[in-house]
Amino acid sequence: MRSFLRPRVLVAALATLTLAGCGFSGNQAQPAQSTAAADTSQRIVVDNFRAPVANWAVESDAAYILSLSGCLETLTKYDQAEGKVVPFLATEWKQSSPLDWDFSIRQDVSFQDGTALTAESVVAALNHVLDAKVPARAFNRTMISSVTALDATTVRVSTPAENPLVPYRLASVNTGILAPAAYKDAEVNPFGHCTGPFTPVSEKAKQSLTLDRNENYWGGDVQLAGAEIRFITNGATRAAQVQTGEADISLSIPVASLAALKSAPGVTVLGADSPRTATLYMNNGRAPLDNVDVRKAIRDSLDLDALAASVYEGAALPATGPFAPSEPWAGEGQEKHKQDLDEARKLLASAGYTADRPLEIIAIVERAEFADVAAVIQENLKNIGIPLSIQAKEYASAEPDVMAGNYDMLLSQRNRLIDIADPIGFLTADYTCKGTYNLSHFCDGEYDRIIAEAATTIDANERYKLYAEAGRILKDKAVNAWLVNEQATDAVRTNVLSYVQDPLSRYVLTANTAKSAS
Amino acid sequence: MLQFITKRTATLLAAVAVSSFAVFLIPYVTPGDPVRKIIRSRVAGDAVDESAVRGLAESLGLNDPLAAQYLRWLGDFFTGDMGLSFVSRTPVAEQVLPALTVTLSLVAMSLALAAAVALPLGIISGLRPGSMADKAITAVTQAFIAMPEYWVAPVLVLVFALKLSVLPTAGWNDLSSAVLPALTLALRPISFFTSAVRAGIIDAAGADHVAAARARGLSHAQSILRHVIPNGLVPLSTLFAVWFAGLLGGSVIVEVIFAVPGMGRLLFDSVINSDIPLAQGGVVVVVALAVGVTTLADFVHRFLSPTVGDSLA
Repeated sequence: MRSFLRPRVLVAALATLTLAGCGFSGNQAQPAQSTAAADTSQRIVVDNFRAPVANWAVESDAAYILSLSGCLETLTKYDQAEGKVVPFLATEWKQSSPLDWDFSIRQDVSFQDGTALTAESVVAALNHVLDAKVPARAFNRTMISSVTALDATTVRVSTPAENPLVPYRLASVNTGILAPAAYKDAEVNPFGHCTGPFTPVSEKAKQSLTLDRNENYWGGDVQLAGAEIRFITNGATRAAQVQTGEADISLSIPVASLAALKSAPGVTVLGADSPRTATLYMNNGRAPLDNVDVRKAIRDSLDLDALAASVYEGAALPATGPFAPSEPWAGEGQEKHKQDLDEARKLLASAGYTADRPLEIIAIVERAEFADVAAVIQENLKNIGIPLSIQAKEYASAEPDVMAGNYDMLLSQRNRLIDIADPIGFLTADYTCKGTYNLSHFCDGEYDRIIAEAATTIDANERYKLYAEAGRILKDKAVNAWLVNEQATDAVRTNVLSYVQDPLSRYVLTANTAKSAS
Repeated sequence: MLQFITKRTATLLAAVAVSSFAVFLIPYVTPGDPVRKIIRSRVAGDAVDESAVRGLAESLGLNDPLAAQYLRWLGDFFTGDMGLSFVSRTPVAEQVLPALTVTLSLVAMSLALAAAVALPLGIISGLRPGSMADKAITAVTQAFIAMPEYWVAPVLVLVFALKLSVLPTAGWNDLSSAVLPALTLALRPISFFTSAVRAGIIDAAGADHVAAARARGLSHAQSILRHVIPNGLVPLSTLFAVWFAGLLGGSVIVEVIFAVPGMGRLLFDSVINSDIPLAQGGVVVVVALAVGVTTLADFVHRFLSPTVGDSLA
């Protein structure tokens, strides 16, 4: 299998081969909780994979940095373990009418500048996000009509149509609340204006953000004296820093560095399902992929075990469908698809497929591993008589043709929860007939009906059942071939205490995060 | 001299105009919609809201004819305004100047290191061409050319940060954090400088005026110190300037690997994100500096070697 794989980027390969004596200790697990006592004089260093680009605009991805660093807090919070939204700066909420949600604001909270958190300050912060020129995905004028203060402690969020997911939207980091003094014209200054356990005190542009403990944190005693969030975009460098001890936590470790870190003393490697599935998108609107049997044949021809083991070196798991098995909406009976070449050949024959022209697969170059994935798929399809040519393109270059339906297959991966901790946005945009990002050009009335019902279903468990049903339709019709579920991988020094991995890197430092002296 | 300064000023203006226009065109001649690139640089994700695209294009003036957009930027630039970044909406100058300071420091350290290594090696090689020392020095320094920065950098991290634990892996905090990136960037200049010094020394040693000096009774050592080495180093000034200009914007790989917040990263990110004002501002500053440094090098060259004075004029 490896023989036809292209060489990886040399930096990554070198890091794998050389940063430590090779070997797998297999200590990938959820946090190893040390029994050592927390030393509250300790400071912590976190290597993050992204740098703020939009001058701390809360509606931009800079909000992720403010949130993970324990500065920015939201009205609600998504509890990964519980799989539901829980109180944060709001203590409770209710849907007071089909179009209105009322949130009760926590009363004992002060911003880091000493001013009190009030309904008015929440309204001002949320309206600032709504008025942004490049609006947040989770919270903008298309789904929110207004935010108003009902009284001193209650904020009303109104929607243009009934929307059961408003509490989820208010868990998005882009709806983080800063003190009124943070907003001057279009600019945002988070320094001293958050509510979280850590106060940002200085920034080295493009390098790092330094924070000190918030002595007056509403959520209890903060266990660390401070923190430094470093912006290290190179994955091998993040891996090296946690290995040397320069960093205590390194987020998003690349596959090429895993082996070295797993065998490194003093480092624990943590893995969790991420909401990203590498997917072979198929153009359902163009022959021969408009034939469901051809799509099923392609799916059946793929050896996902080999793909996960070779290209992803075990850092991704064979996919079972459009969702990761651990997601609460994945549904029952999530089993990975087994390669079945005989069945694939039968399906092709029944579809009357003739190899008139080679199909084309676009491997976007932004994901270096897709070149190898495409090579594996090319080999798999060759086994059932489908010739395949590979085009490596930048996503921006491929997008116009893909959106217009002028393509056969595309390798890509989407974050299902990129806007909110619920897949409704993804399932709507990507697979409904009028979906704004329907790369597959798939259209099915029953699927649309289910998604429309889910969009107005308040009970989360009922909604998840509908998502599972929608997922089954996508699988039954082999809309795409879902390849592997990617793992979110962090590396943590063993003297870090109470670290809970978040696959989306929204919550990294909390009041409970601690370090022992050694 | 006046003619020379006039010519160089004209060159500078032409270079600024051409380079800024070329950079301005990049987002329009490369695949993809510039507005979508700007949005994706702020909010990661492929699906982009169409109303946001239209609104941003309007507010940034990107629906105007290209000529109008460029002339607007040029007009602002000549009044000292480099504009606002499309992505961060902060003044371009506030981003360019800190990055330039970092890169100037890094490049100066790299070239100083390269010169410190290359001068003795080149002189030793040039004074004993064909000797074992010459062959060894040439072989080793030429090997540096074949070592790409994306390979050298991790090796240096492995040795000095992971194995020996004497230097940090990355960052830009103090002198120790500059050592590995400076060393990585210095390797190829070391090779070129050594080669240039060696060739210069060999040429100077064979020059008529050196033979004449020896005929007048100057000792071998004195002739080398007074005539061979000074004349042998003349070509280095031009080479030094060329490398200085090249590294100003060309150190992106090193800056990414070592998390150095310099001009290379800034220019790379700005082009990827279609941040046209930032890319234009950055390139113009780099080009202006490059032209300035090469002009200065020509002066130095003229001072060290008066025979080139006529060609300068």
